[in-house]
Parts: sequence; C-alpha cells; structure tokens
Amino acid sequence: MQTLAKFRRNYFGVLFLVPFILAFLLFGLFPVYNTIALSFTDTTLMTSNANFIGLKNFQRLFADGVFINAIKNTWLLWILNFIPQIGIAMLLSVWFTNARLRIKAVGVWRALFFLPNLLMPAAVASLFFSLFSYFGPMNQFLVRNGFLPEAMQFLQSKEIARGLVIFIQWWMWFGNTIIILMAGMTSVPLTLYEAAMVDGASATQMFRHITLPLLKPILIYIFVTSLVGGMQMFDIPYLLTDGRGAPASSILTNNMLMYLKFSSSQGHIGAASSVGVMIFLMTSVCSLGIFYFLRDKDSKISHQMKF
Amino acid sequence: MTRKISTLLSILLAVSFVLAACAPAAVTATEAPVAPAPATGKTVLKVWSFTNEINTVAIAFEGKHPDVDVQYTMIPMTNGEYQTKLKAALGTADAPDVIALEASFVKSYVESDMLADLGSLLPDAKAANTYTFVTDVGSNAGVTKAFAYQATPGALFYRRSLAIEYFGTDDPAKIQELLSDMDKYAAAAATVKEKSGGNTYMVASSGDFQNPFFSNRAQPWVVDGNLVVDPMVEKYIATAKLFRDNGYEAQAQQWQEGWFAGMNDSLVDANGNAKKVFSYFLPTWGLPYVLAPNAKSADGAHDTSGDWAVITGPLPYQWGGTWLGILKDSPNMDLAKEFIRFSTLDEETLTNWATGVYTNDYLKAIDPNVAPDQQQAPGDFVSSQNVVEKITASFDNSDLSKFLGGQNSYAGFAAAAPSVNAKLLQGSDDAIQRALNDPINQYLNGAMTLDEMWAAWKDAVRNEFPDLIIP
Repeated sequence: MQTLAKFRRNYFGVLFLVPFILAFLLFGLFPVYNTIALSFTDTTLMTSNANFIGLKNFQRLFADGVFINAIKNTWLLWILNFIPQIGIAMLLSVWFTNARLRIKAVGVWRALFFLPNLLMPAAVASLFFSLFSYFGPMNQFLVRNGFLPEAMQFLQSKEIARGLVIFIQWWMWFGNTIIILMAGMTSVPLTLYEAAMVDGASATQMFRHITLPLLKPILIYIFVTSLVGGMQMFDIPYLLTDGRGAPASSILTNNMLMYLKFSSSQGHIGAASSVGVMIFLMTSVCSLGIFYFLRDKDSKISHQMKF
Repeated sequence: MTRKISTLLSILLAVSFVLAACAPAAVTATEAPVAPAPATGKTVLKVWSFTNEINTVAIAFEGKHPDVDVQYTMIPMTNGEYQTKLKAALGTADAPDVIALEASFVKSYVESDMLADLGSLLPDAKAANTYTFVTDVGSNAGVTKAFAYQATPGALFYRRSLAIEYFGTDDPAKIQELLSDMDKYAAAAATVKEKSGGNTYMVASSGDFQNPFFSNRAQPWVVDGNLVVDPMVEKYIATAKLFRDNGYEAQAQQWQEGWFAGMNDSLVDANGNAKKVFSYFLPTWGLPYVLAPNAKSADGAHDTSGDWAVITGPLPYQWGGTWLGILKDSPNMDLAKEFIRFSTLDEETLTNWATGVYTNDYLKAIDPNVAPDQQQAPGDFVSSQNVVEKITASFDNSDLSKFLGGQNSYAGFAAAAPSVNAKLLQGSDDAIQRALNDPINQYLNGAMTLDEMWAAWKDAVRNEFPDLIIP
C-alpha cells in the first residue's frame, strides 16, 4: 500500500523519465547486450548462418600477442598523453585563475588553446601524415638545416609514430581540459584563499590544501572521461598510417583491432564483439577504481557505503 | 615568473596556432560529395562505387532511360573505407542496388551469398566476346555474379629520353629484351644508378612490382584452408630488399606525393636535388588515369608527355579492374540487371566508353548538373574482345599514342589480354596482402629480420582469419 502511495506521489516524475528510460534501453543497454551475445558466436557479415562457439573468440584473443599488444599500446598512448595534458592544463588554469598574476585576455588564450579541438581528426591526421612523409616538408626542413644527415622514413619508426599520436592527442585535448579545470577552480570561494593569505599561506600551500581537494570531483570527471576516451582511441592512429597500426603494430589500439576484425574480408563481427567486451570490462573496472581511490574519504556517504 | 609564463604561453600559442592554421587546407581533400536529392516520379537505382568513373556511364544510362534516376554514391577506398561502409549497409534499407567491386575484394563478394546470380546475362557476354578471365573473376562455383567493363593487363612504362641516355636506344623491342625478366631488370637498375650518378631511380617504389610478382605465383594464398607462401612471394621480398639496399628505388609510397612527382620530373629529395624515375609498372587504366594526367607538374614547369614508351616488362601481370554486381535483396532487380548489361556487356556503350564519346558536353546534355570534370577520356581498355578488335586501329594517332611517342598502347594490351590468367584471385587476397605491407617495410628498413617479418605477418593474418590454418 505504502509503495503504491509513493508511486502516486511520484507519478509525474516517473512519466517524465519514461522517454529517457526507453531510449536508454533501446540505444544504450540493448547494443551492450547484443555485443555480449555476439561475442559468443562466429557471426560474420558475409554469411547468413552463425553458430554459438562459447568462449572461443576470447581464447583466440589471448592465443597470440596481437590483442595484448593492442592493450599495451592503448595504455601507453593514453598515459603518455594524459600526464602532460593534465599537467600543463593544471599549470595554465592556476595561472589563468590566479588573482595575483592577473593575466590579460584569459578568454582569448583559452579559446586559442581550445582551437585544435575544433579541427576534424581526419584533417589533423592527414596534415601530420603529409608533414612527416618521406618527401614531405619536415624532412626538407631538417635536412636542409643540417639536423639530419639524410631524409628518414618518420612514419616507419615505432617511436616517432607513437610520439606523433601522443603529441596530436595532447595538442587536441589540453585546451579542453583547461576549460573544465578553470570552471572548477573559479567555483572555489575566494574567501577561502583570502583567509589562507591572512594566515600567511604560500601559493603552493593554497594549491595543495584548498584548490586540489575542492577540485576533486572535477578531477574524477576528467580522469574518467579521458580514460574512456583514451581506451577508445581510434581516429588519429587509424588515419596517421595504414589503418592497421603500422609501423610494426606500434599504434594499433583496442578499437583499431576491433575495427580490423569487423572490416576483414568476411566481416567477423562475432570476433570484433569479443574485443569490444574486453574493452568494456577493462574500462569499467578502471573507472570504478578511479572512483574508489579518489573518493571523498571524510564524507559520511563513503563511510556508510564501506567499499 | 612572469617571463616564464609568457614564454610558455607563446610557445603553446605558436604550436596550437601555426598547426591549426595549416590544417584546413587538408580538409578539402577529405570532403565527400553529397548525393543528389531524389528526383520525383522516377525509379531510383542506387549505385555505389569507389571512384567517379562509373558515374559517367550512370548518366549515359539515364539518357537511355529517362524514367530512371541513378543515385550515385562515391566512397573512397584508400584504407578500405568503401568495403567497410558497404558491409555495414548490407541487409539494411540503405543498401544500394548495384555495387562496384574492385579486383582486390571482388572475390570475397562473389564467394559470399550477398550477390544475385547474373547467369541470365551470360548470353550477352558471349555475344560481346567478353574476355574469359573477366567472367572467371566474377564467377564462383559455376555461378556468375559480377561483370566488368574493363580488362586490365599490366605493362611497364619507361622514359624514352632516359633510355637513350643509359641504354643507347629507346626502341621498345630492344628495351623489352633488356628487361625481359626481374634479374635483368635489377641489373638494368644498377646501370641506371651508375650512369646517372644516383640521380635516376629505376622505379619509384618497390611496391610497384609487387603485383607482377604476385600475379606469377604458382598457387594462391589459401590452399585447402592453409596459408601458403609461394616462392614468388619470397622472390619479391628479396628483390625489394635488393632495390632498397642499393638505392635503386626512390622509397616513394605508391599513390603518395613522391610517387606522382616522379612521373613529371618534379621529384626533389630532402636536400633539394632533382631526382628522376626511369620506369613505372602500371596496367591499362594506369595510362589514362594515372600516368597521363600526372605527366605535367602542377606548376607547369615539367612535362614528360611524349617521352614515354610501353612494353610488357619483366613479368606478365594484371592489376585492378572494376566489376559490377547486384545485391541479392535489391528491389529493382530487372532494372539493375539492365544497368549491368548496359554498362559492361553492351558493345555500343563500351565503344563509346573507350573512344571518348562520353565527353562532359555529352553528359551535360543529359544532366545539366553534372560536375565539370565528369567525363570519360578515350583509351580505357574494355572487356569485350569484339570492341577491342574493332577500335584498336583508331588509337594509332590518338592523344595517348602521342603521349607514348607514337606507340599504340591499345594494340599492345590487345595482344596481352587473352593470355591473362586470373584464376589465382581469392576473396582473402586483399586482407592477406595488406597485412604483409607493413612487415615488409619494417624488413626493408632493417627494423625486422626476415623471420620476425613472417611472424608479424602471420599474427596479423591470424587475427583476420580465425579459421585459417597458419604454419
């Protein structure tokens, strides 16, 4: 009886939720379910019959080094672009919001740093491909100015290809991180800093003991969205070389491997789904880990939840 | 502190701004053409292809069938985008009726259940005397599912002026004798390098002779579910290594800037020294579509037209070609079949196609909205032997013959076409060969040993063909 009364009281609220729930079930949950179901079959796009093959797709993933290598690449590319990204974004955000420095035209700087994010990844990748090709301008510049004895195949070197992907990802995304961080920092009440200044706190102390703790929810958000985005890194490494992770599979990411299986001559969507399921599991576990380690240890809620 | 800040800010600014300013130039290249809105009251036939070429015949088809609106969609296939888009559309309402299939993946469709049986068009093919290998490629287990308007035997194109300089003659018969197998070709490469002081490369890319080697294998890649490496593949890799280590090739990548630059002498190495390329391996379509349009450099300073000659080259081969098939569930089956008959088996269409009747003005008369560069230049080698025999003589004084210093390339291709063998083609070829490219580059660079190269390739193949037995 009580639940019914409760339902009546929330009747309109439930009604308003219906469109979202329907859309979520149809476009959010069903594809996830379907992907998991497909990952246990040998479905292809080119044949009409499919069989249940249990865990065979997953066994095959671990049978050789390709999948493990893709995971390693994805983490490497993400971590090496995330550290400078958050570092530089943090530094710039502190400067931009610092009342003492009073940097002029903060809005203009912020817009300029954000600019690369507006470019199409395809255009950026083809730009870098042309810049670093064997007969491209980078070789001409370096050789004519004596930095290199002779032209080199930049995009056939593992380290340079990885470095380029990391640089492009950093370059395209640090402006975005600045905007989010600055939004977080400007929401910290000024009175806290004033009080700290009265107590004689240094800039570093204020950053460590006021800014960082109050920024935690924003940091969690940045971490998790960047992790999810990073684990699905695709367009730049795909378009920069041959779309197969060349040179020597050094920029083959999870999603590219999934795409390779999907776009193989038979279109193995069953095998591709098994990669998708593994990425899903990995990303979920890591995101929960971030929530756990960055949780607010002093608040009552986390004490009650007892992770 | 302030100085540090301003320094860092300006560096970051320079980095973001300079690169951002460069980027939009690249955007135009990736912009896809928008499909025209459907005309009312007409039957719509959806055709997908990976070049603008078939749009010409599609417009000509509209001219013959005013009640039909052919909706033409072009999706490039540089990294396999076309195949991906096509696979994603299979079985959906967005699926096209007629699809163009390139040699590298036509077999995977012909081997699948996705294409309709076109057996009813076989009498037309017989009447037009279509080359057997063209029909062979479009058939699987006795069922024909795709036809082609082209036949694509390959050849070797070389520079006459350079031939005189290094070999004392530009006579095609003598040069053919000089380059009649790959060992002789490599020996000639050494001569070219020595006599030019390293300023002329025998070939722009060792990838150029991948096709000739692969076409001359004794067995296909897959035999009874096993992955097989034919000795010809090993010979190709050894030859490519020889060319790289001795500097016989320009290290340009096929279809990239340097490769095209070599065709018009505008190739410049990183130090600013001009470099030349002696020869290109190109098939029939390579002459009108690749070599001739690129013989003049963009700034007009270099022009190699008239300085080329064509020979069979070290190895007979065939490369590329476009087949047309119909998706099994097409709602317009009869119309689609008529489109395929009209574009691949109709002698009149093929004659018009090869002799340059389909000019921009011709197409504009049918559809005023046609793009100004949409047309079919004369010279494409067609699949009907009847048409080929009929029109060969008309190319004696054509522009393409002038481009080749008076040589009638059509006659040469006509002689080579009946002997082309396409029985080795398999659906899995494309993926298997694509997977080999990067390991070969690593091996040529010295970043991988031969064993590591094979292992990397087998891993990549295993990933795409889970059921293949790989030794």
